[in-house]
Amino acid sequence: MQRCFLRSLSVILLSALLGGCASMMTSGLGENLSQAIMNQDDPQTVQAGAPAYLLLIDSLIAGDPENTRMLVAGSRLYSAYASVFVEDMERGQRMAVRGLDYAERAFCPRHAAVCEAANGPYLAFQPHLEQIRQRDIDTLYTYALAQALWIQRHSHDWSAIANLPKIEAMFERVVALDADYQQGDPWLYLGIIRTLLPPAMGGKPEAGREAFEQAIARSNGENLMAKVELARRYARLVFEQELHDRLLHEVMQADENVPGRTLSNVLAKRQARELLDSSADYF
Amino acid sequence: MLRLLLPLLALICLLPAAQATEFKIATLAPDGSSWMNAMKQGASEIEQRTGGRVTFRFYPGGIMGNDRSVLRRIRVGQLHGGAITGGGLSEILPESQIYSLPFLFEDYAEVDSVRKKIDPQLISAMYDKGFVSFGISEGGFAYLLSNSAISGVTDLAGHKVWIPEGDDISRAAFQASGVSPIPLPLTDVLTGLQTGLIDTVAGSPTGVIALQWHTRVSHLTEAPLMYLYGSLVIQRRAFERLKQADQQIVHEVMGNTFRTLDRSMRDDNHRAMEALRTQGIQFVPLQQAEMVIWRSKVDQAMDKLLDNGLFDAALLQQLRRHQQAHRSQSASN
Repeated sequence: MQRCFLRSLSVILLSALLGGCASMMTSGLGENLSQAIMNQDDPQTVQAGAPAYLLLIDSLIAGDPENTRMLVAGSRLYSAYASVFVEDMERGQRMAVRGLDYAERAFCPRHAAVCEAANGPYLAFQPHLEQIRQRDIDTLYTYALAQALWIQRHSHDWSAIANLPKIEAMFERVVALDADYQQGDPWLYLGIIRTLLPPAMGGKPEAGREAFEQAIARSNGENLMAKVELARRYARLVFEQELHDRLLHEVMQADENVPGRTLSNVLAKRQARELLDSSADYF
Repeated sequence: MLRLLLPLLALICLLPAAQATEFKIATLAPDGSSWMNAMKQGASEIEQRTGGRVTFRFYPGGIMGNDRSVLRRIRVGQLHGGAITGGGLSEILPESQIYSLPFLFEDYAEVDSVRKKIDPQLISAMYDKGFVSFGISEGGFAYLLSNSAISGVTDLAGHKVWIPEGDDISRAAFQASGVSPIPLPLTDVLTGLQTGLIDTVAGSPTGVIALQWHTRVSHLTEAPLMYLYGSLVIQRRAFERLKQADQQIVHEVMGNTFRTLDRSMRDDNHRAMEALRTQGIQFVPLQQAEMVIWRSKVDQAMDKLLDNGLFDAALLQQLRRHQQAHRSQSASN
C-alpha cells in the first residue's frame, strides 16, 4: 500500500536539487549551473544534459571524498535525476544506491548512532533524531531524501516500506529545526507520507493536508507541485472533486516562470493536466 | 397500431443488453495498492473485451465506509459490489468466516489443501445468497504482536488486546483465553497503540507494516492465529443483467485477477515477515504445551458459538475431514 509513495516522490525531489547544487559553489560553476537547470523550461534538455553533470560531480567527490558539501550535492543530484527522469527500474536502483551512499557519507560520520539505529526498531531510532542540531540540517535532509528515493526504487521490498515511518520522523525533525527550510519543501514529503493511508485504515489525511498547505504557504504559492500533490494525494483520497479540480485549475493558470522553480513548475503543469483529464473518471 | 408497437417493444426489450453497464465497486484497499491496481487492470481488460459494454467505477480507500457500510449501500442500490474481507462477507454468508476460526490451520500447505475443497462451496453458497464472487483471495496468516513476549496463553494475562469491532469470533477466543479484549474500529488501532489503549494486535505481516503497527510493537508470536482473506463480490441481480457472453468475460478476467492476487499475497507476506525480523521485532515461538492448552480453550469457545448458531457446523465438519486427510497424507509422506 505504501507503494503509492513511488510515483508521488518523483518531481518533488527536483526541488532538492537547488540546495544541492548551490552547495557546490566551491567548484566555481555550481551556482550558475544549478540555476540554469532549475530555470530551464524544457525538461528534455535537462534530461539529456544532466548526466554529464552527474559524472562531473562523481569526479569531484573522487578527488575530495570526505567533502560534505560535495557529497550533499552529489546525493541530491542523483536522487533528483533518478526520481524524475529514470524510468528503468534497475538503472534507477543503481542511482538510488549511489545517492544513498553519498548521503550516508555526508551524514553518518557525525551521527553514527542515528545511522546504526536506522535499521532497527522505530522506537529506538526516533529519540536519536532529537540530538541533531540546526547546523546539520543539510545533511539530515539529504539523508532523508536519499532514503526516500531508495524506498521509491525498492517498492517491492517490505523492509524498505517498513522504514517509511523513520523517514517521516526525519522530515519532522527537519521542519522542527527550521520550518522554512528550502522554502517549505520538506513539508511536501510530510504531506505525501501522511496521505498514504486512507482514514478507514487509520490514516490521518488531514495532517497531510496541513503539511501540503505549509509547503504552499512557505513558498508563497510558487511551488505548484505542492498544489498538484494536494490534489492528487489528499483530494483524491477523501474524494473531494471540487477541491481537486480547483487546485489543478489554479496550477494551470499560474505563471511557471519562478526563479529556481521553473523546471518543477513546468512538470507540475503537465501532471495537473493529466489529473484534470482523469478527474471525471476517478470521481 | 399493434404492428407499430411490436418493433418498439422488441427494441425496448433489447435495450438492457445494448446499454453499457457500469459496476460501482467499493473497497478498503487504497488507490495504488496491489489490489486496486489489479482490479483496475482487470476492469480495463473487461471494458476492452466487451467493447465498452461493461465498465467499472471503483471507490477505493474506504471512501464508502467499512465492509458493513459497503454491504448496506449495495442493499439500497448505491453500489453494485465490493472487495470485501472475510469478516465482512459473513454478513452475506455466516459460513464465510470459517477460515478465520482461531488456530484452525497449522501452515499454508493445509490452507491450500482445504481451500481447494471448500472455496467452491463458499462461492456457490454466496451465489445462493444473491452475490457473485470472483474467487477468494488470500490476506495471509494473522500473527499476534505485542509489546512483550507472548509464548503461551498465560503470557496473555494483563495485555490490552485489540479485536475488530463486531468480531464475535475473536471476542470469544480471547475471552476464553482469560483476557477481556478491547474492540476498536480499524481506524483507531494505530492511535490505540500509540496512546497505550491497546498493546497487543493481530495482523498479517503485510498489514502490520502497511498500517505501521510495527512501529509500536516489539514481539511477534510465531504461530498462525487465524487466516485472513477477501473476495470481490457483485450483487447477482445486477450481474445477471449482463449478456451471457459478457458475464463469461467478467468471470474469466476477474477470476484470473483474484487468482493472481491470491498467489502474490503469499509471497508478499513471506517477505514482510522477514522485514519485521530485520526491523528488530523479536520472534517468540509458541510453546507446544501452551499451544495445546490454548487451542483447547479456544476450541471450546468456538463450539459454544457454533451451538449458538454462528454458522452451520456441517461445513466445518467437512473442512475438518479434509484437514485430517491432508495431515494423514503429510504424515505418511
